[in-house]
Amino acid sequence: MAPMTGRAIEQGMGQGLGKIMNSGIQGEIIYSFIIIACSLMIYFGTKELYNLTSHKGIKYFRQAFLFFALAYFFRSFIKIILFYFEKSELLTFFPIFGSITLFMFMYFSSMAIFYLLYSVMWKKWKWKSTILLFHLTSLAIATTTILFRSPTAYLIINILLFAFISLTVYLSHKQPKKKKPTNLYIIYLMLFFFWILNIIDILVPNFLQTFQLFIYLTSLGIFLSILYKVIKKTN
Amino acid sequence: MAKRNKLEIIRDILKIIQNNHSIRPTPLLRKSNLSSSQFKKYYLELLNKKFIKETYGKNKTITLTEKGQKYLEKYLTIINFIDEFEL
Repeated sequence: MAPMTGRAIEQGMGQGLGKIMNSGIQGEIIYSFIIIACSLMIYFGTKELYNLTSHKGIKYFRQAFLFFALAYFFRSFIKIILFYFEKSELLTFFPIFGSITLFMFMYFSSMAIFYLLYSVMWKKWKWKSTILLFHLTSLAIATTTILFRSPTAYLIINILLFAFISLTVYLSHKQPKKKKPTNLYIIYLMLFFFWILNIIDILVPNFLQTFQLFIYLTSLGIFLSILYKVIKKTN
Repeated sequence: MAKRNKLEIIRDILKIIQNNHSIRPTPLLRKSNLSSSQFKKYYLELLNKKFIKETYGKNKTITLTEKGQKYLEKYLTIINFIDEFEL
């Protein structure tokens, strides 16, 4: 077999890049880039407030967005791989590489959700090992995702996760002082709901194809509105 | 009077130092309305975080550092941020 020349490699790479850019993935890349940028701006924009106060709520809030950025990085990575190789299912075609990437995506996603929830609940949840429990639960969710390769299992895991989050947010808000749900709780519930739709979009390809644009635009709106709130409050 | 939270107590201690430019530990303890054990805890924390510094002249005095000044400037922003996100 003739060795590949520099020009041939360049041509191959050029074709690959062209394939990526022409396969309708541009929107996916822009979408991921905006969400990652928003999350990192929130993380770094609140650094000074945390350094001055060492406030636990601020710490968990920042970590949630760092995990969102990492999760979205792996999410976009999975999407690019699927687009590039024109496959619809990651684990079947790339068993080892796919398992690692999907594991990281699910772990960071779950951690982001748990940390954001904990940022508003840390005063009420006094148990010392809460963070350890989050890591263990996230590891369990990620492992289950890799082991049970069934769309039904994926849907059940995510529905259970969302039910837990919604119940926690509802119970925490069901206090005599707070009669009306604040904007923040509505934004967080929407963020959790659309985040889970984003996860389902990765795990069960084509399941939400019809609503993909709507999910992407709403998710962008939610992240941008949180970033706007952060910028407004931190000047 | 409502119980002060940690951020308010730190703000109050720093404000007392700022208003006096430099102050000795005993008057600071008196003005801060804290028990001596509580005061010691906060005092050490402020020293560790470099919000205040001790100066040794005729007496030991406490002054505000740039970081302490920054905390006072940012206090309202911090409180508004914590309230906004219910942290």
